[in-house]
Amino acid sequence: MDAPQTAAGRFARRHRFRWWELLPWIAAVAAFFAFPTYLAFGTQLLITILFALSLDLVLGYAGIVTLGHAAFFGAGAYTVGMLASHLGWNEPLSGLLAAAVVAGLIGLVSGLVLLRTHGLTLLMLTLCTMALLEQAANMGAHWTGGFDGIPGLSFGKILGLFSFDVLYFRSQYLYVLVVLLLCFLVVRTLVYSSFGQSLTGVRENLLRMHAVGAPVRARLVIAYTISAALAGVAGGLFTQATGYVNLSALSLERAAGLLIILILGGYGRLYGAFVGAVAYMVLEHVLAKAYPTAWQLGIGVTLVMVALYARNGIIGIGEALMRRLRGANTA
Amino acid sequence: MSTARLETKGLSKNFGALEVAREVNFRLEAGARHALIGPNGAGKTTFINLLTGALAPSKGKVLLEGEDLTGLPQARRVKRGIARTFQINQLFRGLTVLENVCIPVFERMGLGGGMLRAAGRRAEVLAEAMRLIEMLKLGEDAGRRIVELPYGRQRLVEIAIALGLAPRVLLLDEPAAGIPSAETHILLDAIASLPRDIAVLIIEHDMEVVFRFAERITVLVNGAVYAEGAPQQIAANREVRAVYLGNALDA
Repeated sequence: MDAPQTAAGRFARRHRFRWWELLPWIAAVAAFFAFPTYLAFGTQLLITILFALSLDLVLGYAGIVTLGHAAFFGAGAYTVGMLASHLGWNEPLSGLLAAAVVAGLIGLVSGLVLLRTHGLTLLMLTLCTMALLEQAANMGAHWTGGFDGIPGLSFGKILGLFSFDVLYFRSQYLYVLVVLLLCFLVVRTLVYSSFGQSLTGVRENLLRMHAVGAPVRARLVIAYTISAALAGVAGGLFTQATGYVNLSALSLERAAGLLIILILGGYGRLYGAFVGAVAYMVLEHVLAKAYPTAWQLGIGVTLVMVALYARNGIIGIGEALMRRLRGANTA
Repeated sequence: MSTARLETKGLSKNFGALEVAREVNFRLEAGARHALIGPNGAGKTTFINLLTGALAPSKGKVLLEGEDLTGLPQARRVKRGIARTFQINQLFRGLTVLENVCIPVFERMGLGGGMLRAAGRRAEVLAEAMRLIEMLKLGEDAGRRIVELPYGRQRLVEIAIALGLAPRVLLLDEPAAGIPSAETHILLDAIASLPRDIAVLIIEHDMEVVFRFAERITVLVNGAVYAEGAPQQIAANREVRAVYLGNALDA
């Protein structure tokens, strides 16, 4: 087949599922049976993947540089926590929905203001938004529990059938896995749609997007809102799975850690969120065991190596290897 | 006089005391092959920015087929059919040529906000993008990313993106800039083969390109129209030669 046909065919088929896309889900189910004592850790890992995925939509695809994404994670986490503790609203699925709506609204309102700016200004403003929310949560002690947060929450049965399993995290793990899968399908559909294509256009050349008549700011605000809602779901899952929420949900540490995860895995690549979250959390787990006081040093060194030698993260290394293999085959 | 495809009336722009466009009255006829020339800093690119709406004029009007566009933002003017290319490439560098050309086609067809259907399943967009890519003889590079292309090929993508908007008026800002002279003929052929229902205004320093392509030439000096006429008239105009053409033509 000649080059133009090949290119057109590849474009027309790029959204189709490939066999290897099943691997993360098979791995996740296998882990459920293989590591029954690690399911609490596994649940955190899945939540982190969802959170990273939401960041990838804005950072990786739309090119919105943000350091304040924990604002939306925290908004979702506190929404679920406050509904449960104050209103006794502890039905899990509607709680998640509420988390998505609240976080999405905060994303929409802040996005309308912030996305007039870009670059460093935008970065600082996202940081400010998160700091404002963190302070609000700190000071509104009556509602949020202030510095101590809201501990000891309990939630109703999932779909009225499966109760949360405090000891072994079995139901939490599967519940979070299913929510992650659904959210992943949403993000995947978005990035392969014409909307997703226009977001990559904004990322690659803002000036040209204006020149082709695209409503750039509206697109960015929509993407930011959706991403915020997904981060809110991740936060809501966190509160439901652990039964508490505190200020760490809104912290810079969480936001910055997420950025490291996405850079480690490779941003703008959909699966970078998966690989990055696994790499980061396993690294953290292992390093913290070996060097309880200095484990962050290991993360730092890894990040420097990635920044210097693997700009596209772990997934990028895989892509380069695949290219080389294919090159060797055709040669 | 009939209505021009694109017309400006008394178009002026100043940045503080600096006048970059002075009372420009300009007509681009339907099907025109019109060149805008002038020394560096004459205000040629500013004039394009005023036409596209990237800049707002201090005074005067821009009319498309008699309709006043002056207050409209850039995006609305694009919808009305004004497309431009850039003097310095403004491409989606990390994306393939095909994706680059699909982006404007999506916008033109009003599909840029579509979230559910995969971009690859919009057969009409894909077909249109491939048609333009073939028209500019970029077929072999359709699947390559911009960063992998030599500069001359990138300049063609620059035009393909503008054509993806199905413009009625195409503004080419120094399309041949930076292309090795041995390759300019590819670009010239591409411009020469543009359909006649597109009115083309070209800004160019390369006089060979200008005189091969243009059927009418406007000379801009210090933001004002200095002379206008058929290529022979402009070439014969002593003052124009003195101001601008002299060196280029004698060289």
